[in-house]
Amino acid sequence: MKKWQVAVVLCLAAIGSWFGLTTHAQAAEYTIATDTTFAPFEFQVKGGQYKGIDIDLLKAIAKKEHFTYQLKALSFNAAVQQLSANQVDGVIAGMNITPAREVTFDFSKPYYTSGVVMAVAKGSTVKNFNDLKGKTVALKTGTAGAAYGKSIQSKYGFKIKYFNDSNTMYNDVKVGNSSACFEDYPVMSYGIKNGIPLTIISKQHNAGDYGFAVKKGKNAALLKKFNAGLAAIKADGTYQKIINKYLHAKESKITGETASSRTFFGLFSQNLGTLGKGLWMTIELTVISIILATLLGLILGVLGVMPGKLGPAVSSTIIYIFRGMPLMVLAFFIYIGIPDLIGHGFKIPAFIAGMITLMLNEGAYTGAFVKGGFQAVDKGQMEAARSLGLPYWKAMRRVVMPQGIRIMIPSFINQFIITLKDTSILSVIGIVELTQTGTLIIARNFEGFKIWLMIAIIYLIMITLLTWLSNWVQRRIN
Amino acid sequence: MADTALKVHVQDLHKSYGETEVLKGLNLDIKNNEVVCMIGPSGSGKSTFLRCLTDLEVPSKGQVVINGYDLSDPKTNIDLVRENIGMVFQHFNLFPNMNVLQNITLAPVQLKKLTPAAADKTARDLLDQVGLADKATALPTALSGGQQQRVAIARALAMHPKIMLFDEPTSALDPEMVGDVLDVMKQLARDGMTMIVVTHEMGFAKEVADRVVFMADGLIRESGAPKDIFEHPQNPRLQDFLNKVINV
Repeated sequence: MKKWQVAVVLCLAAIGSWFGLTTHAQAAEYTIATDTTFAPFEFQVKGGQYKGIDIDLLKAIAKKEHFTYQLKALSFNAAVQQLSANQVDGVIAGMNITPAREVTFDFSKPYYTSGVVMAVAKGSTVKNFNDLKGKTVALKTGTAGAAYGKSIQSKYGFKIKYFNDSNTMYNDVKVGNSSACFEDYPVMSYGIKNGIPLTIISKQHNAGDYGFAVKKGKNAALLKKFNAGLAAIKADGTYQKIINKYLHAKESKITGETASSRTFFGLFSQNLGTLGKGLWMTIELTVISIILATLLGLILGVLGVMPGKLGPAVSSTIIYIFRGMPLMVLAFFIYIGIPDLIGHGFKIPAFIAGMITLMLNEGAYTGAFVKGGFQAVDKGQMEAARSLGLPYWKAMRRVVMPQGIRIMIPSFINQFIITLKDTSILSVIGIVELTQTGTLIIARNFEGFKIWLMIAIIYLIMITLLTWLSNWVQRRIN
Repeated sequence: MADTALKVHVQDLHKSYGETEVLKGLNLDIKNNEVVCMIGPSGSGKSTFLRCLTDLEVPSKGQVVINGYDLSDPKTNIDLVRENIGMVFQHFNLFPNMNVLQNITLAPVQLKKLTPAAADKTARDLLDQVGLADKATALPTALSGGQQQRVAIARALAMHPKIMLFDEPTSALDPEMVGDVLDVMKQLARDGMTMIVVTHEMGFAKEVADRVVFMADGLIRESGAPKDIFEHPQNPRLQDFLNKVINV
């Protein structure tokens, strides 16, 4: 077998084995989405497991009602979007029951009641809502805190800044970019108990109920089981036990972490497994996407220099569309938009969606420089080859392509590095790659600086290795 | 197949690029074993004419029949036509990603004219013929211009063409390299190859050509035996051209 054939086979084998894994995982009856960073309702602990009130309640209810489920941790926003796109069966994520949401979702009986509080940095000059005038308030998209903040914005005259996860929002207040944040009371007080240097300075406002949500008119059976299970665990005391466990305990008891493990290396060795998993996901995504994007790019490049009008037109249209679209929009479009359009419960696994996203986006960039590389080969080369009687494709493959590809090598290396970095954007559709792993670890231990430094170093090491590998290949080819 | 003695038949050949008409109606017949040199000022359309003979340029109007193939016939397989035409370019156009031997054997092997072993042998014989037997494994970039052009000629000959077209083969060479290339071409002519040579080498034209064709402004202005063309030019454009070229 030739080298490229080996590569294709390996690639297919990797995709195949991955499909094998997903089918295995999908044996569960339901897929239920939750937030990633909403302690004490949900947060990741050592080893990548999720814990929290929501998680434990769901577990207890499922046990009572004998159903199985697969938990999918996404950002709150993504979880809600996926529920409305029918990508998941239910969402339990400290979700407030609101009239607006009841238009699209069916909610269970309330399982928790909480109100919104305002928190500020320690020693802040902001003492009450009136002090917010002209200042910036941090809100987490889609939360009750955000709704409350928005509702009093004009009255108190502050600016709003939105975040996708709690921890980043807290940090923004901590470093002083924002003056305050609005958050559900149990979440805020739990965070403060576990080291977030903020203070709650308001009483609870707009008390609301948390509910488990399914898409309107769908999964009535699941909703029924949830309600029945909830009643059962309330009756037998399990419910109260869970609430007490999270609201009256320090996180270290739940996560098993000790204070001595808060040094850089302590954190590193403690999170080695989680980081390793995230790293592996990043590598998997990068390698498969690079292979697919390169294939697509070569096809687009060849189409782009083909004689006639059709090939170049198709090539430049595809390049135009997928190069012009931000990667994140493309990821959302494929992961949430397409299943929504197709309907009938059609689902795309996040990994596949991410792979397609990267393939299209990076493939479009690759196509553009492959086309340029072929065009940079002296026209006389094609003429000489054709003049010998070689048909177009033979001339292309034997004469123009080898020379063009040599011109493109630096661009390829560059594109590989960009692809590696771009995998981080796929965290928005819930792929737990390296960046998302970082977000999750920080959501639990609030060690932003050390963890992000760790993640940055890992990326740099990977990019260095990739550059060395590419340079070695380049030397071999030349 | 038309008259087999007639290698090239060109009738009323026109070529325009947008508004600019480069060839304005050329007629030319070339017989078997004939060596024709095309001369004329730059921009007169000589190279365009030559490129129209292998469809590297598609004529706007008119007919080209070469080796019995009518290029304007859509049923004509252009690759097959080109297999039988040897084309030599001003800038050699050797494939820089292959060594000398690979340059020569590529087409015969790819088009299944020869087995790799036979192609290799042919290539070495041809290299011997052009005086470069020792350069078989060299890369084109390691050769001088004159050597590259001789490899290019060998590459074209490897397909056993029935006609050779030369597009200013010595224009890009340093003066001291020109002789070696012209010697190879003279030998080809002596061996009976049908050749069309676009050139500024008046000495070569005088010595080797059976016929010299003078072009100016997209038309053939005069054609005839070298003696007539160089010693008794009739067309004032030709007289003017020769004056300029010879009294440098």
